[in-house]
Amino acid sequence: MLIELLTKRYPGMRAWLTQRLSALVMAIYSVFAVARFLIVQPSHYEAWVDFFQPLWWRIATLLFWMSLCLHAWLGIRDVFKDYVPNPSVRDVLDKLLVVSLWVYLVWATWLLLA
Amino acid sequence: MQNNQQKNTQKARLRPGQMSRPKNLNLLTIRLPINALVSILHRATGCVLFLILPIILLLLQFSLSSAQHYETVIAILHSPFIKIMLLGLAWAFFHHFFAGIRHLAMDVHWMTTLMKARYTSKVVLVLGALATLVLALKIWI
Repeated sequence: MLIELLTKRYPGMRAWLTQRLSALVMAIYSVFAVARFLIVQPSHYEAWVDFFQPLWWRIATLLFWMSLCLHAWLGIRDVFKDYVPNPSVRDVLDKLLVVSLWVYLVWATWLLLA
Repeated sequence: MQNNQQKNTQKARLRPGQMSRPKNLNLLTIRLPINALVSILHRATGCVLFLILPIILLLLQFSLSSAQHYETVIAILHSPFIKIMLLGLAWAFFHHFFAGIRHLAMDVHWMTTLMKARYTSKVVLVLGALATLVLALKIWI
């Protein structure tokens, strides 16, 4: 039943679940990030760079950012669906949204892994 | 009133399948229950957080690029006006976070009766305010 609901026949269910799973990833990361920041307390430049030095932290941050892009895509798309009745205007906005989120994702990936 | 009804039936005849319904878009006449308030704030804060994404990336990149740039970012973040903006944005994050957890809880059928939903709405608003207050104390003291 659940598996069937997640197939391509029910795109709404997939969006729904993606929204929730990405929220969960971000919530867990946020708690960890705040806790880690309070424990490490980076107070100068070197400490701040060290804060982002560990590979596991970069990967966790990237995972957070990927979830954020998915979450923002679905969320803002819903906002457009609700408040932009003109389909051609909405189409343009949807495309702008996707492009900007891809730019942010590539930017964040480059920032964290380069 | 009668005139209005006539208009409505006329419209209904003109465009079959599309009901002409009364519109009440004067937002001041709509009383917003606390659950609705938390819900619309969840959406509004989500939009705000989306809009500041490039600023976050820009600040992160700048602060990590060199010691000099790091000091510049710190100086920017210490100006009183930016601090107030930051606090507003932090509240947006906290509200979105707590309201989101409330939604997740409701998805697994926790706190779904009207009374409980009203109660958790209050909890979300209080937690958002408290978290912002703690941050305010931390950046001003």
